Amino acid sequence: MIRLAFRNLFQNKARLVISVGGVALALLLILSLDAIFSGVERQVTAYVEHSGADIWVSQADVRNMHMASSSLPYSVARKVKYVPGVASVTPILYLTNNVVSGDERSLAYIIGLPENAEFGVPWSISSGSSLPGKGEVILNRNIAANSGVALGDEVEILGDEFKVTGFSEGTASLVNSVAFITMDDFEEMRGSYNTVSFLLVKVSAGESPEIVTDRIEAQVRDVTAQTKSDFAAQERQVIKDMSTDVITIMNLIGFLIGLAVMALTVYTSTLSRRREYGMLKALGARNSDLYVTVLAQAILSVILGFLFGLILTLLLTVVIPLFGSNLALEVSRASLFKVGSVSLVIATVSAMLPIRQIAGLDPAMVFRGR
Amino acid sequence: MIKVSHVQGETLQIDHVTKSYGSGATEVTAVRNVSLTVNPGEIVLIMGPSGSGKTTLLSMLGALLKPTEGTIQLNGTMISTLAENRLPDIRLKQFGFIFQDFNLLSALTALENVAIVAELAGTKSGVARRKAASILNELGLSERLNFPPEKLSGGEKQRVAIARALVNDPGLILADEPTANLDSKIGHEIMRLLRNIAKEQGRSVIIVSHDQRIKDIADRILWLEDGEFKETVTMAIDPVCGMAVEREKAVSAEWEGQVFYFCARGCRDEFLKEPKKFLLTASEESSKKT
Repeated sequence: MIRLAFRNLFQNKARLVISVGGVALALLLILSLDAIFSGVERQVTAYVEHSGADIWVSQADVRNMHMASSSLPYSVARKVKYVPGVASVTPILYLTNNVVSGDERSLAYIIGLPENAEFGVPWSISSGSSLPGKGEVILNRNIAANSGVALGDEVEILGDEFKVTGFSEGTASLVNSVAFITMDDFEEMRGSYNTVSFLLVKVSAGESPEIVTDRIEAQVRDVTAQTKSDFAAQERQVIKDMSTDVITIMNLIGFLIGLAVMALTVYTSTLSRRREYGMLKALGARNSDLYVTVLAQAILSVILGFLFGLILTLLLTVVIPLFGSNLALEVSRASLFKVGSVSLVIATVSAMLPIRQIAGLDPAMVFRGR
Repeated sequence: MIKVSHVQGETLQIDHVTKSYGSGATEVTAVRNVSLTVNPGEIVLIMGPSGSGKTTLLSMLGALLKPTEGTIQLNGTMISTLAENRLPDIRLKQFGFIFQDFNLLSALTALENVAIVAELAGTKSGVARRKAASILNELGLSERLNFPPEKLSGGEKQRVAIARALVNDPGLILADEPTANLDSKIGHEIMRLLRNIAKEQGRSVIIVSHDQRIKDIADRILWLEDGEFKETVTMAIDPVCGMAVEREKAVSAEWEGQVFYFCARGCRDEFLKEPKKFLLTASEESSKKT
């Protein structure tokens, strides 16, 4: 009966193209949205992941960077440094603001780095200097290019002019980018001294970041210490919380489009073969045999649609960056599993109506309607 | 000639079968108190005007419809009272169906159309395909095995349908207007095949048809009208001229304890002069036909 399903499916090429194409586009919507979301998650946590720190220390109860602010007295850095297992501490200053170049504005994490900072520095430089000096800024290469900014140009941050001396890679996302200036400039710009936003802690060789994290929280008051992976997870969670509704609605739309296309094509396909199914029943086929045929036909269509949708999504992941976009698509296993499951649900639900129709077929119809 | 082995024929017996639709003032009786026994190797032709109940009777004979009253037995098994879920198996293994419109699956090849019925009966795919190929070869379709139905002529389609009806070795073949969509020559070819199925293989064949030509191969002709058998005609072959004649209306003669039927007195007189000569000729004719 599987062979029959296969042959039925490929007999009518136009119907096959409509059903597979429709499902592919619907699944493409879900897959590409998931891929965008995964890409944004990776981009948003890129600075945390590439900071080189094992532990992030922040003001008590501040657990992420995005849409948050943290302020710690500078003295806390010394206290943390004395905690057993801590090898080094790099304080950074942070706020979210615009980098302005003429009429162009781009939102950025502004990071203030101490002189000779070990951690939290740009990890990939495409041109220019790798650390900012006094009155200098290192921008993301794509953001700069989009704003028409070249090395040596000046940009404005919080009303102050900075000379662009380096371009970094991998520091931009769909939502923002990372701009690096000196801690001194940051303090002057903000008019606030002797405070830092975060402490980037490196643990000694052989020490467990989890244990050192617990020690820091136990020995230093009014701070929150998290391992890098926990801090990044918190960052991702914020993005998730912000976009869950949009993702859910778009997934639902994709699901409904896929379901409608499949249900319609499977139903019309079964309807057009009503007499053939009736004949098979007359010959002795059981309803279950025919259900298998209809379900297999729906599953085969959806598998083809899924593969086609996946190929299109993978193509997008390659093509989009070629256009200089900061949009990075990333197809995750979880997304594949989710869309695979959605596909199976679409196939099963779309086969329900035709199955009901087959169940009601009178096999004696083959002798009638001459 | 079909070389399929001789099967254990089935005896189909229907007793006082009635089928009514609706109830009360709207009740319509399609078949009324019909009885019939079909023996192995016998060809029974059911004729009658449109609306006489032929389709309803055929559906009941094929276990597709249950009678309102009466019983239908196949080799002693009461199929008219069997549970609905047991009927597909009976239809699949004990009946072979041949339809007027061939009813082949348009997406499958000739070979697959036959093999799928064997697979439904539980035969493994490879075995089913070999069996289907063998029957189709015997029916002269060896060059058409992988052709889709749309590429086959009417006669070829009906031969595929016959192969499909035979693939599970059923004892009983039910044919609904098997020659209706075929020209005269192909119609005769199909009739010859149906005769072989009955006489060579010992299967019972029940044919519902308007085609008068089929009378030539039938052992019995039943005339159904208003849901009842109005007339039963038993056919015989005139041993002198080879014509199919109705026993009830034919001229007859007895020789060595056996009754022979003739189209006219001339044939009877010629037969009685030298009976052995005609019996030998009739026997040769019969083997030529098959």
